[in-house]
Amino acid sequence: MIARLRLSHFRNYESIEVGWSPNLNLVVGKNAQGKTNLLEAVFLLSSGRVMRASQDARAVRHGAESATVEGVLQNRDVLSVVLKRAGRKTASVHGSPLRRASDLIGRFPTVSFSAADLALARGEPQDRRQFMDEEMSQIFPAYLRDLTVYKRALAQRNALLKAHAETRLEPELILPWDERLAEAGSALREARQEWIQELSPLTSAAHGRLAGSEKLSLSYEANDEANDRGGFLGALRSRLSDDLRRGRTSVGPHLDDLVIAVAGQPLRHFGSQGQQRSAVVSIKLATLESLQGRIGRPPTLLLDDVFSDLDIDRRDELVRSLVQLGGQTIITCTEESQVSADLLREANILRVSSGRVS
Amino acid sequence: MSPFPGPLAALIAEFERLPGVGVKSAQRLAFHVLRMPVDDVRRFGQALTQARESLGFCRVCQNISEGETCEICSDPRRRADQICVVAEPKDIAAMERLNEYRGLYHVLHGLLSPLDGIGPENLKMRELIERLRDESMQEVVVATNPTVEGDTTALYLARLIKPLGVRVTRLAHGMPVGGELDYADTATLLSAFEYRREL
Ligand SMILES: [Zn+2]
Repeated sequence: MIARLRLSHFRNYESIEVGWSPNLNLVVGKNAQGKTNLLEAVFLLSSGRVMRASQDARAVRHGAESATVEGVLQNRDVLSVVLKRAGRKTASVHGSPLRRASDLIGRFPTVSFSAADLALARGEPQDRRQFMDEEMSQIFPAYLRDLTVYKRALAQRNALLKAHAETRLEPELILPWDERLAEAGSALREARQEWIQELSPLTSAAHGRLAGSEKLSLSYEANDEANDRGGFLGALRSRLSDDLRRGRTSVGPHLDDLVIAVAGQPLRHFGSQGQQRSAVVSIKLATLESLQGRIGRPPTLLLDDVFSDLDIDRRDELVRSLVQLGGQTIITCTEESQVSADLLREANILRVSSGRVS
Repeated sequence: MSPFPGPLAALIAEFERLPGVGVKSAQRLAFHVLRMPVDDVRRFGQALTQARESLGFCRVCQNISEGETCEICSDPRRRADQICVVAEPKDIAAMERLNEYRGLYHVLHGLLSPLDGIGPENLKMRELIERLRDESMQEVVVATNPTVEGDTTALYLARLIKPLGVRVTRLAHGMPVGGELDYADTATLLSAFEYRREL
């Protein structure tokens, strides 16, 4: 968990230092004052990347050349990321630079939840694959490595397919790429299947506490039958002529999905907005529990403005389940009155107003 | 029409033809040249011509060489039955610093990468296979980087070479000696763990 955070020239902050409680932290402020930016800085130290689908350069304050985000963790690790207006971002631990910013992953685990996460229920298969990829990369370094290899090998194989749309492709030319894909791809699919199996009962239990009787279940939906290295290679080979015609690879975990169902009905097509929201919150709570089980300590939970969407009962239930988990929690909200008085007494309250924190 | 006098426009155009140099950098370099002492410019020009005229590629191993065959290939003390395959000439310098490897080299001048339009025909692979037809050849050490492209190129080469009856090995990758576990990047530590050995 994070103890101190220092920002300079990050988004709308010039230079600030913030202390965090190991329990509940409330970041309170009107919209567009910089609440979410604080949360994003914390997320950056955890993941090595900026939260919203935006470029690193945008996170550098107007008029500055670079932005620095530095965090001191409770175990005294010092993590920092420097974002540049031009050029690659760099990350370091105790001042020693890391090879890639993504090497930060795993040192400071977090689970985040914001309105954008509703895409998990409503959005495309791609949104759900991204969820699995992000969370699993924090738990399993091997997963992150296989994912990086898989994405690169897939792009290379697709380029090879496109280059040979008209000309003959020698089998020995594509085989080494197929082998890389089959190795990384079967490992990814197996790891996802195992993790979803672990996550499903945790999600059901969380959902039971939040939304009562409706049964929620998760299941991993593979796009094809290939479930080991050999099967994968065979499937790649048998679909090759199809793939050549389309110029892309039709076998593999980059086409899989995660099916979220309430009472046996896939949520994506049948769920109401309320059902979708409690399903996503349940999945996030289960993710938190799973991470805690795997890494032996609770990850830090980042909740961005989720209260305005929830009714009073569900808001209280949510906060209660969080406190029960006993980890560090950072919540942004527009009004202190959104949280009950007994929780306010225990919380570390940070008031944010035009790039200042008090 | 270029806003610059003819010779300056020509100089900018030449810089722009270099890899990784855009219009702006080309202009900055050209203006820098105009401010340099004439002697420095003359020396720079001579170095360019001399390097290009006196250096070429070794006809055996494809490394940068002053003569037809490079110093390593023409050194009789090197083992001639072992070839270390590298992607770039600079990788030879790294291997030579070991003062351990006594065999020969072969430079591919790149790695397989369909995204960049690079296939086997763009690399010095045919030349390598020709060298392996010599019956005394024992081992090929593939020393490409442990990237997706480096690994795939190694795999491709292994399939090509094994039928010739030559042993193919690959550099292992693991923890640097003297490195602390806590500071190792995760990928390095992971591969060191996966390729751990019996004590
Ligand atoms: Zn040579």
